[in-house]
Amino acid sequence: MKSLKHIHTAKRIFIYVAAVLGILWSCFPIYWMIKSSLTPNDEMYELHPSLVPSRLTLDHYKQLFTQSEFMTFFLNSVYVAVITTLIAIVLAILASYAMTRLRFKGRNFIRKAIFYAYLLPTAVLFIPMYQLVSKLGLINNKNALIIVYQTIVIPYACYMLISYFAAIPKSLEEAAFVDGCTHLKALVKVILPIAAPGIAVVATFSFTMSWNEYLYAMVLMTSPSQQTVPVGISSFRYSDNMIWGLIMSSSFIASLPAVILYMFAQRFMVTGLAAGGVKQ
Amino acid sequence: MGHEASIFRVERKLGLAFTLPIFILIFILMGFPFAYTIYLSFTNKTVGMPAQFVGLANYISIFTDSTYWRVFMNTVIYTVICIVVKLVFGMLFALLLNESFHGRSITRVAMLLPWAIPGMVAANTWKWMYNDQYGIINEILRDLHIISTPIPWLGSMGLALFSVMIVNIWRGIPFFLFSILGALQSIDDQLYDAGKIDGANVFQRFFNITLPSIMPVVAISTLLSTIWTFNDFDNIWLITGGGPLNASSVIATYTYEQAFMYNDMGTGMAVAVSIIPVLVILMVLVTKHRSSENG
Repeated sequence: MKSLKHIHTAKRIFIYVAAVLGILWSCFPIYWMIKSSLTPNDEMYELHPSLVPSRLTLDHYKQLFTQSEFMTFFLNSVYVAVITTLIAIVLAILASYAMTRLRFKGRNFIRKAIFYAYLLPTAVLFIPMYQLVSKLGLINNKNALIIVYQTIVIPYACYMLISYFAAIPKSLEEAAFVDGCTHLKALVKVILPIAAPGIAVVATFSFTMSWNEYLYAMVLMTSPSQQTVPVGISSFRYSDNMIWGLIMSSSFIASLPAVILYMFAQRFMVTGLAAGGVKQ
Repeated sequence: MGHEASIFRVERKLGLAFTLPIFILIFILMGFPFAYTIYLSFTNKTVGMPAQFVGLANYISIFTDSTYWRVFMNTVIYTVICIVVKLVFGMLFALLLNESFHGRSITRVAMLLPWAIPGMVAANTWKWMYNDQYGIINEILRDLHIISTPIPWLGSMGLALFSVMIVNIWRGIPFFLFSILGALQSIDDQLYDAGKIDGANVFQRFFNITLPSIMPVVAISTLLSTIWTFNDFDNIWLITGGGPLNASSVIATYTYEQAFMYNDMGTGMAVAVSIIPVLVILMVLVTKHRSSENG
């Protein structure tokens, strides 16, 4: 019995050591970002940085909001991510309903196409997308990002919603049909309330995908007035010298919306809904 | 009978109407540019100039260029090592978070953070930590007396690729962790009880009960992450720009460089198209896995 207790204690110790290492590994860079954003410049550019700052300052944040174009980038990002998500969710709900509940020709074909579109990386598409957007005269127009991001967000949203909708028993709607409901009404009254948590998670990820997107935004938006946060932040530099105070403080603010939404979504994620996942 | 037929007609109309936007999106906004990509790779297109058909010239020039093969090998090394490490540590931490202990939920939240922050933020933060003059990584290693002179993490030919891999791994572990954790939590406890009664030890239980149950999720997560890692752009572009001298260059950054820095769309597209066979193999594997799971 004693050796069993030994094993038990050893296991406990191992678990706590691993947990601490996991937390340190995951959080240290985030700590360092926040610490750097609050460190005065003279201390930041010392040859021996210390783990804990001796003084804290909000100078970088002040400079960010008063002397840089960060607010423009931020508002552009909010605008693009919110509208992209709204459009994508509405279109994906309708399409996913059609693909799980309605019988029509070409259904399987579209389903396959959505899946392949979901897998197609932006690295293959960005040059022709640049050609297309410039032919349409939409370079340096942030609305172009809303259109282009649909190619990333909608396939993902459909892929996830199709599996949520397929899991909802059909008998629930059949009762509604007996009462004379149309398909659209059945969707709104029966499916949507049941699928609401799933839809919320998909909307969360759709928002963060558009919020975080960098490659298309960099290629398509070259003027600061149209740039989003990921591209704008990278411009905080004098030629090759990065302005680390501004970059770290803006990075911290840029992280907040996505982190808050992930915290909210994570209790749904651990119940096995993460499968499929988000493009990294 | 007439009623059935009219229901079917309504479904067909609605079905087409509901999926029409998706159809337009995929075939006009993605399919057309994709086909155009392939066409461009056979031309000498540059910005502002019309494209001229040049046959296989772009492909011959990239396939005979040793830089292309170096970049291709970088991409393979980057993908394979990152995937293996992310999978192993993702699984270990999923097993950890599947145990009950004090502080489990705080550990879970903490380990989610690298995935939740934007990739651009992760890249910039690590770039700052790697800084050879003011970076904290060199400082810690110096304090621990592991090194005496600062290491140029991003500036050295031998280290640059390794340094960007660390960042991809840091950000990518939570994806595996949370996918696998979801699968672990859906395993029926009775299986473990039965295993214990039969006298199976921890390792036997892991290999005979846990691993087979989470295998479908592990396979699909690995394949999806392989596609994304193979095509990673942001991480490398923001940290090293592919340098020094292409030491950390991968297919995606090399494509961008050819097309937008050297203004050679044709070569850029040939580079992008050259990895499509790899992509198709991965996509077919994913599809197979999915259909075997569903069926």
